[in-house]
Amino acid sequence: MMSESQPSAKHKLVEFKVDRVIDEPSTDTRIVVLTQVDSPSDTFPIWVGAAEGSAIKLAMDTMVTPRPMSHDLIKSFIEHLGVAVRRIVITDVKSSTYYATVYLENKGVERTIDARPSDAISLALRAPCPIYITQDVLARRSNDNLDAWLAKMESKNLGTPEVQET
Amino acid sequence: MIVQMHLKGLMFDPYNNAYIVILREEDRSEMLPIWVGKAEAGSISLALENVAPPRPMTHDFMKSVLDAYDAKVISVVITDLSENTYFAKIHMMYEDSEYTVDARPSDAIALALRCNAPIFASETVIRKQNTEELEQWLENLKPEDFGKLDS
Repeated sequence: MMSESQPSAKHKLVEFKVDRVIDEPSTDTRIVVLTQVDSPSDTFPIWVGAAEGSAIKLAMDTMVTPRPMSHDLIKSFIEHLGVAVRRIVITDVKSSTYYATVYLENKGVERTIDARPSDAISLALRAPCPIYITQDVLARRSNDNLDAWLAKMESKNLGTPEVQET
Repeated sequence: MIVQMHLKGLMFDPYNNAYIVILREEDRSEMLPIWVGKAEAGSISLALENVAPPRPMTHDFMKSVLDAYDAKVISVVITDLSENTYFAKIHMMYEDSEYTVDARPSDAIALALRCNAPIFASETVIRKQNTEELEQWLENLKPEDFGKLDS
């Protein structure tokens, strides 16, 4: 549990919003691109699975599916419990894995739940509630991810025949 | 009337590029196949194999939310399976009240397995589902179709 009563600089929160979800059709990966609300040129990419990416995309497009998807069900549970989703925070990054915390409130009591960023973002879009990233995570963000991405794109291009037999 | 079902297995359906969850009646041999997506199958498979993934998967997160408020899943019921529209109900107990929550069978099953809650199906849905169709489908399966799930 994080204490936010005395937010130190590293726990200072910066608000982001989901800008887009990029398809990588050749892999089972999607890239969720977050942009800083006060500075849209500041982007923050997060790699997620295909199903997680499409759950986020459905919420972005405010698509109503014939049947409730997993995160609609979570929202439905939360409503039955009389709980509000206050915010979600991307709190940590360890060996290229991001960690998120979902802040729930019920009768003035706040509870935090550990989640993957994809589940937290999917729920945040449906709640709706703001999405934050800690200053600490932003500071520790390196170009590693971007480099890895580029490397992957390049290797993929090498692997793809230039002339498709179709 | 509802009858208790047991999860018999999970298979890949190469024809529809989907997965089939097979529920079987406890006493009789009636089977109920439920077609689910890849992600849902992966989640059910993790729960079946009792594998704790390094990070909470969607249904683990779902359970965490319920646990945080001491809400209990009492049972889930598969209520209808018609073309592309599958229905289930999740019965939940919270602060001495019972709630019924609408869900897809895949979510209901994935959650039930994590909460050790019984899975039921309505008799109408079992009767409606043409098991002959499944048997025929099973007969057409080749050994190589029984692959391991890559969740």
